Amino acid sequence: MKVRPVLAKNCFSCHTNSKLGGLDLSTRESLLKGGKSGPAIIPGDPAQSLLMKAVRFEDSKLKMPMGGAKLKPEEIAAIETWIKEGATWPESPKPAVAAKGYVITPEQKAFWSFQPVRKPTLPAVKNARSSIDRFILAKLDEKHLKPAPRATRTTLLRRASYDLTGLPPTPEEVDAFLADKSSNAFEKVIDRLLASPRYGERWGRFWLDVARYSDDKLNSTMDEPQKNAFRFRDWVIEAFNKDLPYDTLVKAQIAGDLLDNKDLVAATGMYALSPEFQDDRVDVTTRGFLGMTVACAQCHDHKYDPIPTRDFYSLMGIFTSSKYNEYPLAEKSVVDEFKSRKKEHDDLTAQLKDHLKKQADQLAEILATKTADYIKAIAEGKTEAPGLDKETLERWSKYLKKPTYDYAFENPLKAKDYAGFEKKIIELNDEKKDIDEKNNIRLGGSKLRGDLSRADLLSLERDKYFFWRDLFGNTGVLIYGEKKIDRWLSPEWKEHVESLRAKIEAAKKAMPEEYPFLHAMADEPKPHNEKIQIKGSRQNLGDEAPREFLTILCNGDPKPFTKGSGRLELAEAIVAPDNPLTARVMVNRIWLGHFGQGIVRTPDNFGVLGERPSHPELLDYLAARFMENKWSIKSMHREIMLSDAYALSTENIPANAEADPENRFVWRANVRRLEAEALRDSILYVAGDLDLTTGGPGVKFMDDNRRRTVYGYVSRRKLDPMLSLFDFPNPNSTSEQRIPTDVPTQRLFLLNSPVMLKASEHLAAKTGSVPNAYRMLFGRAPSKEELKAGLDFIDAKNTMPQYLQVLMSSNEFLYVY
Amino acid sequence: MMTRRQILKAAGMGFGQLGLSNLMAKPHFAPKAKHVIFLFLNGGASQVDTFDPKPMLTKHHGKPAPTPNLKTERHTGNLLASPFSFKKYGQSGIEVSEIFPEVGGVIDEFLVIRSMHTDQPNHEPSLFQLNCGTRVPGRPSLGSWLTYGLGTENQNLPGYMVLCPGFPVVGPQLWSSAFLPAEHQGTHIPNNEKDPDKLIPWVRNQRPRPEQRKQIDLLNTINRFHAGDPKLESSIQAMETAFRMQTEAPEIFDIAKEKESTRERYGDTDFGRGCLMALRLVEKGVRMVQIYFGNGQPWDNHDDIMIHKKLAQQGDKAIASLVKDLKSRGLLDETLVLVGGEFGRTPSVETSGLVNVQNGRDHNNHGFTMLLAGGGIKGGRVYGSTDEFGFKAVEKPIHPHDLHATMLHQLGLDHTKLTYRYSGRDFRLTDVEGTVIDEWFT
Repeated sequence: MKVRPVLAKNCFSCHTNSKLGGLDLSTRESLLKGGKSGPAIIPGDPAQSLLMKAVRFEDSKLKMPMGGAKLKPEEIAAIETWIKEGATWPESPKPAVAAKGYVITPEQKAFWSFQPVRKPTLPAVKNARSSIDRFILAKLDEKHLKPAPRATRTTLLRRASYDLTGLPPTPEEVDAFLADKSSNAFEKVIDRLLASPRYGERWGRFWLDVARYSDDKLNSTMDEPQKNAFRFRDWVIEAFNKDLPYDTLVKAQIAGDLLDNKDLVAATGMYALSPEFQDDRVDVTTRGFLGMTVACAQCHDHKYDPIPTRDFYSLMGIFTSSKYNEYPLAEKSVVDEFKSRKKEHDDLTAQLKDHLKKQADQLAEILATKTADYIKAIAEGKTEAPGLDKETLERWSKYLKKPTYDYAFENPLKAKDYAGFEKKIIELNDEKKDIDEKNNIRLGGSKLRGDLSRADLLSLERDKYFFWRDLFGNTGVLIYGEKKIDRWLSPEWKEHVESLRAKIEAAKKAMPEEYPFLHAMADEPKPHNEKIQIKGSRQNLGDEAPREFLTILCNGDPKPFTKGSGRLELAEAIVAPDNPLTARVMVNRIWLGHFGQGIVRTPDNFGVLGERPSHPELLDYLAARFMENKWSIKSMHREIMLSDAYALSTENIPANAEADPENRFVWRANVRRLEAEALRDSILYVAGDLDLTTGGPGVKFMDDNRRRTVYGYVSRRKLDPMLSLFDFPNPNSTSEQRIPTDVPTQRLFLLNSPVMLKASEHLAAKTGSVPNAYRMLFGRAPSKEELKAGLDFIDAKNTMPQYLQVLMSSNEFLYVY
Repeated sequence: MMTRRQILKAAGMGFGQLGLSNLMAKPHFAPKAKHVIFLFLNGGASQVDTFDPKPMLTKHHGKPAPTPNLKTERHTGNLLASPFSFKKYGQSGIEVSEIFPEVGGVIDEFLVIRSMHTDQPNHEPSLFQLNCGTRVPGRPSLGSWLTYGLGTENQNLPGYMVLCPGFPVVGPQLWSSAFLPAEHQGTHIPNNEKDPDKLIPWVRNQRPRPEQRKQIDLLNTINRFHAGDPKLESSIQAMETAFRMQTEAPEIFDIAKEKESTRERYGDTDFGRGCLMALRLVEKGVRMVQIYFGNGQPWDNHDDIMIHKKLAQQGDKAIASLVKDLKSRGLLDETLVLVGGEFGRTPSVETSGLVNVQNGRDHNNHGFTMLLAGGGIKGGRVYGSTDEFGFKAVEKPIHPHDLHATMLHQLGLDHTKLTYRYSGRDFRLTDVEGTVIDEWFT
């Protein structure tokens, strides 16, 4: 037996490039050098070699492979013999792919998830209903686990209904299924559920977790809704309902604007609605579609996976060569009309504002020349005086009592030098005008925020400035702004202002409602390559990274993309049939949605640090079937749901629980808590309140919102409390799976929320009796004891709504079994 | 400690079905502190006007600094002296600005860290660094790590509460649990809201309690009919806790229950009332309370540093009273109190086109001050220093990772071992950095 393949298979993923524990096993020299604990081998002396201790599990702290099964006895023996014989090492083979300055080793290339998808031969197993069951049963057999009994038909129907639509079955649906004795009764149920518009609302939402969908921008200071974001959400729901092939779904989202079918442009909302962090678009693309954490390579080569920093910037260049583009959903004439009307309105408004500002400033200067008269009048205790304006006199009087701001202020009433005060404020205003003019020159007339922030400007001294502001600022003593200036205007000026105002009013009326548009993407006219940012710093640029695909997923050196930004080429590379990741990643997500955990339990990470698949052959089988069936997601649901594995009950088998407590090998079904959406929808649904209208703008979760939760307003800035309480994912980055929690604050929702209380009332009006309540909520009759408990409760002067609230808070309602 | 596998066996349930953390939560070693109160001066309070006096600034006021100004967010010009005078306080004689006289009165409790720095001169990344360890969103916050690592002492209240009238910049991301189980996210309390009922969603019972009691008894009965249901015990526990929360939680926020003289000592400001709530929450065993000074970024005084005076008046006596009351109630030893913002401000005056008057300071991430008291920290001392003008931390610089590492240490947690495996990787609050500063507690 050869030693190197044993090491390669079991050890290289952590002990070559990653050098965990400082140990590199890729050469004889590095083995001799060893890691943090010392040399890995001492040639000729297996007993003293750490490697032997590790693989023999001699030391409790040093058991290798870490977390994995012990090597086979013959493998351990082979390593021992090899060390004893002096540990000779063949010369390393040439690296398979050479990116500039970065070497991907054959061992890295041999990692499981980079191997081509191969449809495996089906294991020979007795009593397997489907191909999937052959893989599951073979594994259970190997692990000496016994599958749990089949779930009851009622449980199975409930499970299937929630899985595909996020809603429980109606009592009629239960009756129909129980009455259908045909052998394909469950198949018919699956087809019915897949054909329901509710299906896309359920599975589209799962995809929106990946797409980090939201209805607004993450704005740090105020709400900033994206009015048309819902069009992307609706596109996704529709795509799932239509069973748009997954490869098309991927291509549409990355490059829908570059495809012939214009119905696919909306899909690029996935990128157009990005949270705009530098690594977001690379992150969502690689974790979302490929199960690769490429964003980790932004500052350094990936520590574990064969992803050089250059690959990150290659992908980033594709996205920085693309831009956000609003794609109107109206005739060009409508768009042009709106834009020109809006421009007209905005121009006139600016013109009026500008005009009045000039008038106000001029008036202030005129009034300033009469300052001494005003102050004198006030000193003499007058409230009006000939030649003086009454309001201005009042303003002065108020101001002299208390300046609005905290600054050194010499009260002219005390100094009694009124003329001196007048001179002072005129000079002050001149000084301010002079500074403004100089600053304007320094800025070259620019009003751009970036220019302003880097400019070195002049200003009045602090105390002078606040003094000036109290007199000449927007609410200053001498300033008559837009609403107050009319009485000062001469008839000609006044007429001019009135006519401008009338025009603005007319322009506002003439302005049509803004046309609908898509948040979409387009290529920049001049695509460019990014330069590598060394340690992620924009100040420290390295080599250019051509726009191309990930090195590890290319045969040989990657070829630079040549068409525009390269987005379409990227999309095509992702869905290429020989890409080993895309199909595996998606079938794993679908499996997760039916079983509560993936075959790979890190759906976004198929790299070294991700978990290994529990059933690698099954994963490959499913991936191969997925592609055979033209990437049909609905076919994948059917195939999975028609297996016996899907129909297992949740029944515990103690011996199994001892050996496989996490149910990795699918010996029973997992109990799953309803997601936020399924919970809220179900409460409304059983009460007869759920509004099944589809599509449209996101609706805030007020008490009277009865729409399905998927149509609720999702905010990056402030997520709705009900959603976040029930573990809705953070929409600021792509999310791989829901992590359900069970915390007391969730129970407050069940106890006291208006949603729950109203539903109890409404449901009470429909049910009337305990048996009927069980039928409507759970599709079954109550047991004798359940019936008694219910009747006793109501007999003890509790109300039907109180009873129903309890049933809707029970585990049978909150969990899918 | 039980292994994850043992817990799963004991609980009889599958992966991802339960927030495992509470079962595993306990310190790595004997803790000094049990609670954290983080008083966040959002916007970025100026060090040279508060706790880091610089006579050289006064001396060279209006002149250019001898070396070019460090790069900050906007353009700054000549040196700007602090308009406030400093005075020595307490046994320690630490100098404090005239705008914080009451804090000066308790300065002997505080370690004055004058050498803080972050990586970028912008609010968002620095807010993230101080609260979540990294510059970018998507990582759990300090409070989330604490409740994840230590659990909660009071099952009737959320373990991590965030008080802010409105939102700081960035908002709820700053108290996000990110990939940690959602139960660890901070519960935001709009403390400008005076009606205690409105502070926690759905906390007020909508049916009389005896009726609710009967409902919950029935619920437990019904759930028990399903023998072998792995969810049984946890669902009973959660409901019982919720039932109790309805009375306990609103009461704690009702500071009208405190004596008027007590309330007066904190001041009738959002921040003042918040500090009093923090005292009551910590008394009840809440793990971490964070108070943001105000909506938006009140301390972000680009234009006029004189505004600091007004702000300090709203917080000075509240901070001092909190420290005193924690001490008199025997809680200061077990409560870490941290005071400071996301960065400091430049000693040079801002001259950019975004200000109307040049009497303010730009953001300064290169050097700023934070105060730390209680929880085993030895107060009455100054740690580290900035250069002679107060621009850059030069002596013993402290990065948020070091601050976090040391805080976790005081809470009995080894920051290198407090990890969470997510998407295949172990994450830490301190990423791969952070040094525990022994000097602070020895």
